[in-house]
Amino acid sequence: MLPDDALDRLVDGSNQIANLCRQNKIEQWEIIAMQSYGHQLDIEAGKISLAAGGGEGGYGIRVIEDGKFGYAHLVDLKSADNAIKQALSIARISPSIKGFSLPSSQETEEVKGLFDKRILSVGPEELLQQADSILSEVSSLDKRAVVTGGGLGVSATAGVLTSSEGIDHHGITTSHGLGVQVSIDENDQLTSSWQGESSKKLIDKVPNCIASSVDWAQKTRDPIKVDSGAEDLPVLMTSEGLGSLFSIVVSSAIRGERLTRMESFWSGKQGEQVLANDLTLIDNARMEGGSSSSSRDGEGVPTQRQVIVDSGKLVGSLWSTRDSAKLVAEGKIDKASTTGSASRGGHQSPPVTTCSNLELISSSKSSSIDELLERMDSGYIVNSVMGAHTANPTSGDFSVTTSSILRVQEGEVIGAIKQAGLSGNMAKALTKDVFLGDDVRVSGGSMHIPDILLMQGLRVNPI
Amino acid sequence: MVLAKSPIEDAYDNARRYLDEEKIRSALQEASDFGASYAEVRLVSITDSSVATRDGQLERAIPGQEVGATMRVLANGAWGVHSTTDIESIPSQVESTVRLAKAVAERRSSKDKPVSLADVPIIEDSVHWIPEKDVRVTELEEKLDLLNVLYENSKDDKKIASVICGWHDEHIHTEFMSSEGMNRVWSFQRSLINATVTARDGSDVVSYRTRHGGEGGLELIEQCDLATLGSDAKTSAIRLLKAERSPSGKLPLVADRDLTGVYIHEALGHPCEADLVAAGDSCLDGKLGQKIGNDIVTVIDDPTIRGGYGAHPIDDEGLDTKEKCLIKNGVLTDYLNHRESAHHFGIEPNAGARAQDGLHHPLVRMSNTLIKGGTHNDLDELIEDIEYGVYACGSRGGQVDTGRGSFQFAAQEAWLIENGSITTPLKDVSVSGLTLQILKDVDGLTTDSRLAAPGFCGKGQTVPVGDGGPIMRIKEALVG
Repeated sequence: MLPDDALDRLVDGSNQIANLCRQNKIEQWEIIAMQSYGHQLDIEAGKISLAAGGGEGGYGIRVIEDGKFGYAHLVDLKSADNAIKQALSIARISPSIKGFSLPSSQETEEVKGLFDKRILSVGPEELLQQADSILSEVSSLDKRAVVTGGGLGVSATAGVLTSSEGIDHHGITTSHGLGVQVSIDENDQLTSSWQGESSKKLIDKVPNCIASSVDWAQKTRDPIKVDSGAEDLPVLMTSEGLGSLFSIVVSSAIRGERLTRMESFWSGKQGEQVLANDLTLIDNARMEGGSSSSSRDGEGVPTQRQVIVDSGKLVGSLWSTRDSAKLVAEGKIDKASTTGSASRGGHQSPPVTTCSNLELISSSKSSSIDELLERMDSGYIVNSVMGAHTANPTSGDFSVTTSSILRVQEGEVIGAIKQAGLSGNMAKALTKDVFLGDDVRVSGGSMHIPDILLMQGLRVNPI
Repeated sequence: MVLAKSPIEDAYDNARRYLDEEKIRSALQEASDFGASYAEVRLVSITDSSVATRDGQLERAIPGQEVGATMRVLANGAWGVHSTTDIESIPSQVESTVRLAKAVAERRSSKDKPVSLADVPIIEDSVHWIPEKDVRVTELEEKLDLLNVLYENSKDDKKIASVICGWHDEHIHTEFMSSEGMNRVWSFQRSLINATVTARDGSDVVSYRTRHGGEGGLELIEQCDLATLGSDAKTSAIRLLKAERSPSGKLPLVADRDLTGVYIHEALGHPCEADLVAAGDSCLDGKLGQKIGNDIVTVIDDPTIRGGYGAHPIDDEGLDTKEKCLIKNGVLTDYLNHRESAHHFGIEPNAGARAQDGLHHPLVRMSNTLIKGGTHNDLDELIEDIEYGVYACGSRGGQVDTGRGSFQFAAQEAWLIENGSITTPLKDVSVSGLTLQILKDVDGLTTDSRLAAPGFCGKGQTVPVGDGGPIMRIKEALVG
């Protein structure tokens, strides 16, 4: 999959750009080079619809002069000199940030589990066999169930980060992902469920998410009618149901810049109680095999495991080199420095502050699903929502829709609801009476959360 | 060399070709020799620029030059695809890509219909939509001046905590060659300006987003009244600070043209995509020719509306784009399709194939989607007989489950309608419903239909779209 010389080519390309930077007498420069290769299958209507392969990548150049920065990206090395000049001209009209300079190289231990050699030898035939296994598994679980959409893929990404400040890192990471939309269309009633899984390691068995997808397509059939109108009731959000909302609302709220600029619902609350007092929120970029793990961040700074909320109190925030220098220079904050939280969407974007793997844990004993339902008594279980991206990350307010919702009475599931509105404020819902399940799963990209029972703060409006 | 020219050479010459035509013809022939019934190579070069300011200060400006190509081959009734930024590698990947397609085909059962493509005219030409003011020669200072107008008019209140303004422009150049002899080159530009205004009052914090843009060059932004755009965003953000929580329940809903556009995009547009219909993932399967909406509902998707953010001259299978009428007076008249799905359903191909860029294969996608105008003169006429309802404006996005036919979209701001008048401001209003129900519940449309603010649509790949329509009234929708 990955050409033997992939990394060497990137190093060579980066060195060519670095030499041009030196020739242009640039004060500080940083070059990111990325090249991904992979194979992918699409599944539609119960069969493999397409097989694809290929590679993509390019270079990004960040230049800094007198605390001013410019950036440009390119694919064709022939345009490197032009890109450098563009980045320089942008830097020269950008505002200067006092104290902003590129980080220097620091030693750190490598995070384990980000590369699996076995993935490099996965070819289209192996992927096709895995797709066959998934389709068979779905069919064996329920003859009516069909994978109406989804796919699977493997990739390997070679990356190089080099700078005028001595940073010179390179490496290869791998990933394997799959996701399926399983539908059951019978008696003029269609139910469906999307589930997926991704890993830095080879997924060599049919993962549990496949059975879960069939299970939710089954248990949302034959909906019952609930005429209660909108009600404020406890809601058990499965990891999959909460992940997307949690990711959109919480991950932006803990960025240092947003907190400092009063653009987060947790602004001005450092040291104060923001979550239920048994909850701890950790941004862990050093998690072994984590989907957002890395040894160094997008600027080459060593990453860390950072406690953001400790026993309910806000104690941390996320910073990149530039954000921290900028906010200090503006006088918005007395002191701030990088937390190794800069990441890049690819070679096309300069580093921005983002969370890595977010973990929500509780000092209280975690509960099984049955224990959570018993505590809930009456309420709902929600396994996926539509419109999580419309949540307001500034306020924490959201108003979404779900077609994957079960009604619970006296601790027992009594049936599915065809569709319901679900609204509330995520920040407020997490402040008290929050109970965590015992099965942590990865959802919403890199949210490591279990099923969570929210006893207050949510409103359900069944159709 | 497969690249006849580097993308940076003669960067502003629309007549240039990046691909070496002879080499690509030879690769396409080779695909046929290996057993492909069809093969194509599509190269896309994008020259773009993004700019962001925060509180009037340049935050970042990023110029870029990207090029990618996708080779698609059809062999034994199945697709194989190779996408790459290493354009020169294409000829070396022909055999393996055909083999990939054949491996997929081998897994098809005898009852599976092999993929075939609807016949289309074979065209060799170049089509360039030339903007009045080419964004590739627009200086950064000019963009900053325009962003500053937006900023200056949106910041002027002590409750405004921050204003983030953004700019994106792109020149898209595509070359398409197929084993059928199609050989087309086309180009066009898009420009976009936006602002996110955050207001704060004590612990209450809200934000409002505004956008303007479309297909075209700098002139599109210059023609916009940026001062009013900024000032309106500021007013909305401040108003949201005092807005109340939305009532929940089934209520009459009136939507401005932004929301009307998102509604028709999510509720009807996606279920109308023929690739989803063929995959068994659309509530509109088997409903062609059936009445699915009120008589007053007529919906079109039209990539030829110049200036719309979803406008493009040629689709990503090399077909001339055209207007598609999806619903005519409540009757489902067409699906959006590409060549594969057109053949599958035995319908006329209507050039609905779009890919995010040169590294993605084409899917059936919307472009500029609109509900046509109705008979009501204005908003007042639409709300005069509503006792208690919601008037919702501006879009924060939406989503649809095409199979179940359920959808959700969120408004940026809203008001209560009480006894025919607009009263209390509301915040965080979302609307959900079922496609096959709610199209019947549209019971009022103003006469003036036009595209609203530009948007983006995700379906595994992200493409720019234009949506819009008139102001619309829905008899009853689930508001939350």
